[in-house]
Amino acid sequence: MEEKLLDFIRDEFLEDPELEIDADTRLISAGIIDSFSLVSLQSYIEREFGKRIPAPRITAESFDTVRQMVQIIQQF
Amino acid sequence: MAFPEVLRRKYQDILQQIRQSGLHKQERIIHDKQGARIAVEYPFGSAGKELINMCSNNYLGLSSHPQVIKAAHQALDHRGYGLSSVRFICGTQDIHKELESHLSDFLGTEDSILFSSCFDANAAVFETLLDESAIMISDRLVHASIIDGMRLSRAAHDTYKHSDMQHLRQKLELHKDKETKIIITDGVFSMDGDIAPLAEIVELAEEYQALVFVDDSHATGFIGAKGRGSHEHCQVMGKIDLISTTFGKALGGASGGCISGRKELIDLLRQRARPYLFSNTLAPIITMTTLKVLDILAGSTQARDSLERKAAWWRQALIQAGFIVVAGESPIVPVMLYNAKLTQLFADELYKKKVFAVGFFFPVVPQAQARIRTQVSAAHSEEDLLFARDAFIEVAQKHDILGKTKAELLNMQV
Ligand SMILES: Cc1ncc(COP(=O)(O)O)c(C=O)c1O
Repeated sequence: MEEKLLDFIRDEFLEDPELEIDADTRLISAGIIDSFSLVSLQSYIEREFGKRIPAPRITAESFDTVRQMVQIIQQF
Repeated sequence: MAFPEVLRRKYQDILQQIRQSGLHKQERIIHDKQGARIAVEYPFGSAGKELINMCSNNYLGLSSHPQVIKAAHQALDHRGYGLSSVRFICGTQDIHKELESHLSDFLGTEDSILFSSCFDANAAVFETLLDESAIMISDRLVHASIIDGMRLSRAAHDTYKHSDMQHLRQKLELHKDKETKIIITDGVFSMDGDIAPLAEIVELAEEYQALVFVDDSHATGFIGAKGRGSHEHCQVMGKIDLISTTFGKALGGASGGCISGRKELIDLLRQRARPYLFSNTLAPIITMTTLKVLDILAGSTQARDSLERKAAWWRQALIQAGFIVVAGESPIVPVMLYNAKLTQLFADELYKKKVFAVGFFFPVVPQAQARIRTQVSAAHSEEDLLFARDAFIEVAQKHDILGKTKAELLNMQV
């Protein structure tokens, strides 16, 4: 799941191909994913993993790294 | 006490954090009219200094143009200073209707509506026109006022990579079942100076039956052969459903803005847009003077032609010197230094050499994308631009920046 998320994020959000990200890279707080782009992450998770994460759970604090995302997705 | 000590301390802490993170902004005090050379006091309390101004939005040099100032004086005599009313009560003069109609002619649209600023216009448009059944698909680099405007709307939103048409197509495909789709972009992007690919955007919009919204604040008056904007440049006049723009930049630079586009959409904004209904009308002096500005621009392309030549020269001069410049065709020419600290230092040293240009870094632009943004004006003389170019080169030579790659600049220790 981690790898799939990372691949999606690289493809969907990274404008700068030289930037490297891993499961602990801060994404929202570092401005890599902006708040308006979270819907596309949400709909990817729904399509790929069949889980709908409620928007209030997707915040800069709780959904900032791929590691955190995996934890939350597993709760649903 | 209305402002208890704990609260005061809370705000002091926030301000302290801003200072510590190096994001504290200080205003430069100008003792002059806006122009190519201005007397600036900075830091506060220091002796004023005459600088070449490379950071204003006074693209056409109209902000202090004698003809514009004269028109403003006449406006005062003709229709007074203030109206003390919103448009619907007793704040609509003949000149307001005239300006709306002239804007529609100038931009090639069906109708237009005035706002106190383009920020207000962008804050009004998405909330008023879109409901839950709509999806807003915006470029990731749109202006802050559009972001705030989208936040106020009940419509869903998604984004596409900056000017990436393949990504936009994916997003339109993803959301194709939505009843209303609207593609949202700046015409000229204020931090990069590039022009949105409006011809391709319009084509996709037609294929997917989506509306198109363009903020042309950094284009109206000078982009396109007649200065009508980025839609003229991209040959899609008449095909943009909503255009927002400002009078606070090239068009005299005072303040005010508008939305221009499809008649029904403008009519609905007039009935329901909250910043239009609940905020004061545009001052007569701005309304009449903007009319005069449109008149000047419709009568002659001299100012925009001169701006185009100067901007092309400036861009080329920087590239020849060995700077990395974002490709584009507008008078916004960003000099990429990537490195935030280097950018700050560079701007400070330019200032010492009497050139006024501002450095931008995260969070205003993405990380590792720090830059000095320069803006050319028709008001610049050749000597002004030569002077500025030499200052850029001297500062760059001092720090051995010219000809360096992005990675080398990022790794420089400042
Ligand atoms: C792209 C863009 N849109 C809107 C605005 C806001 O315009 P105004 O100053 O009229 O509120 C600005 C400028 O500040 C801008 O750059």
